[in-house]
Amino acid sequence: MLIRARKIKSGRASGKAVVSSCPMSFLGGIDTVSGKILDDESESKGLSITDKVFCFPFGKGSTVGSYAMYQLKLNGAAPAGIVNGSAEPIIATGAIIADIPMVDGIDVSLLRTGDDLVMDADKGTLELLNVAEKEVVTSIVRHRQKILLLQRSGRVGSYRGQWAGVSGFIEPGEDDESAARRELEEEIGVSRLRLVKRLDPIRFRDSEVVWSVHAFLFDIDAPDIKIDWEHQRTEWILPRDVAGYPTVPGLQQVVFKLLEC
Amino acid sequence: MHLTAQEEHILAGEEGHGHQKAMELLVALGDIYGAERLIPIASAQVSGASFKTIGDAGIKFLEDFSQHSKVSVRASLNPLGLDLQRWKAMGVDEEFHSKQDRIVRAYKSLGVEPLYTCTPYLAGNRPRRGQHLAWAESSATVFANSYLGACTNREGGPSALAAAIIGKTAEYGLHIQENRRPRVRIQFESIPEGMVPLAGYLVGKIAGKRLPVVEGLSLSPDEHKSFGAAMAATGAVSMYTFTQPGRKTKLDLSGVEECVTIPTSELTGTADGLKGGDQWDLVALGCPHCSVAEIKKMARSLKGKKPSKRSDVWFCTSRAVYNSCPQEVAVLRRFGKVLCDTCMVVAPIERLYKRTASDSGKAMVYLPTLGKQSASFRPTGTLLEAISC
Repeated sequence: MLIRARKIKSGRASGKAVVSSCPMSFLGGIDTVSGKILDDESESKGLSITDKVFCFPFGKGSTVGSYAMYQLKLNGAAPAGIVNGSAEPIIATGAIIADIPMVDGIDVSLLRTGDDLVMDADKGTLELLNVAEKEVVTSIVRHRQKILLLQRSGRVGSYRGQWAGVSGFIEPGEDDESAARRELEEEIGVSRLRLVKRLDPIRFRDSEVVWSVHAFLFDIDAPDIKIDWEHQRTEWILPRDVAGYPTVPGLQQVVFKLLEC
Repeated sequence: MHLTAQEEHILAGEEGHGHQKAMELLVALGDIYGAERLIPIASAQVSGASFKTIGDAGIKFLEDFSQHSKVSVRASLNPLGLDLQRWKAMGVDEEFHSKQDRIVRAYKSLGVEPLYTCTPYLAGNRPRRGQHLAWAESSATVFANSYLGACTNREGGPSALAAAIIGKTAEYGLHIQENRRPRVRIQFESIPEGMVPLAGYLVGKIAGKRLPVVEGLSLSPDEHKSFGAAMAATGAVSMYTFTQPGRKTKLDLSGVEECVTIPTSELTGTADGLKGGDQWDLVALGCPHCSVAEIKKMARSLKGKKPSKRSDVWFCTSRAVYNSCPQEVAVLRRFGKVLCDTCMVVAPIERLYKRTASDSGKAMVYLPTLGKQSASFRPTGTLLEAISC
């Protein structure tokens, strides 16, 4: 999977990812001799960032953190590269004075410690070698106040028994709205729907896959639907009740974003 | 960001490694803040001069960097961790001194002017209205923007140095006129004697990232110095605008989104909150560094009195000011140390004292954190009474 990134410090780096989902300071947050993460708040506390691609949302703390990054480099304990959600001056300054390639503009929640990363700051790319991105559509069908949830059958390839919207892969050469309408026809036998809203693709990480979900909200006049082999049950629920169902990853977020609740 | 051909050359390393690094830094910061270009600066003020604040890593960086770089515009340096002449009397140890000395030599070799003060504008580096600067040191930045009418963002140490080397800075933030308009309007019911630093302290807290306009603010230049220093310590904005009673000021108030009136009780309440204990190891005056007028005023009120010797006393100032009023300095020296090149915020005060009183709003932010002190705020007059009898 390839993600676009913004260059902060030029250069190329490859290696295993070490991910911290909390903001980091190199002054006190990293041992400048061993390269180990000291920050109690980080889920990666105790891991070494030396020669790894160190990924965290943004920097925090004292401006002396820039110099601590330089010290880390002199000690031979620097990371191979830095990936940030959004760069701020302390980390950017440190990366430049310590010659550590760096990019930002990356949603760090898509990354996992241990991922095989190749970053190229000059090309503005971050590649996840062990992760595939899959483009899917998911449609929430609404009738009056209620939305349709479908329970995936035991015969589908993934997320068996979990609750979902009307979903499927976008075929090569197909645009996302056509894919959404095709799936609606195939899975619930409905072709007459009004498109109410669509979201920019939302990405979710699930083991070695990043799902890029193109979400749609459709209104339907009559709740007459006919499911195919891919689902075993359906329910019409109030949007807020979605939290009570074991759903496919991210469905709740999709519903809340589409209905702004 | 759009770079000129010459800037591209520097970025490509054609003018050497030091220039390349400096340019990389300016461009990266410019990109982060959405700048479109670099603009020439009249001067830089570089922070990160005390061994206490930059540590061994900072020394190493400066020593390496000074091998192949020199500043191309006027650049002055922030206070050090010690008085270069009286460090032993301060109680600073040999090891700290030798590390501080390496920093001093690296900055000299970079061509940074050894003013060692947070008030370069009182020591020879005084900007003119409308000039663009790359100043670090929050208190100097806010004074330059608000009182002198120059334009500067609050730079970090390395970015101010990079700007000094290239002679330019990225055009964003307070370099753009649109961003110098006030967004929050603040009015004080009154500001009692000695409370000006706390007024700044409160304005910083209320303003946060928003540029404030303070109504009816009638202050001396020295009061602006301590007001702004406190504001920049508690807030994230490096500028305020103000109106003066009985004077018409042209101000664009169309960006104001909130008006706040601060009752006098809030100022006295803040003073109570920062009161701390009544016993002090050190009374520290001069944050920011004392001006000539402040030294003279203190000398006048102490003249003919005797030192109470209840605690150590530091009067912190720049060497330029120190040298220009020797008679008054002699008066102050009977009551304590008149220190140059350093101050209570960046000296290794935690190795020397535990309880410090100061008349500075800025010091109330940094003494408890950076200085690990139990800090007490008192108006200047109260402290002068306490150290004399």
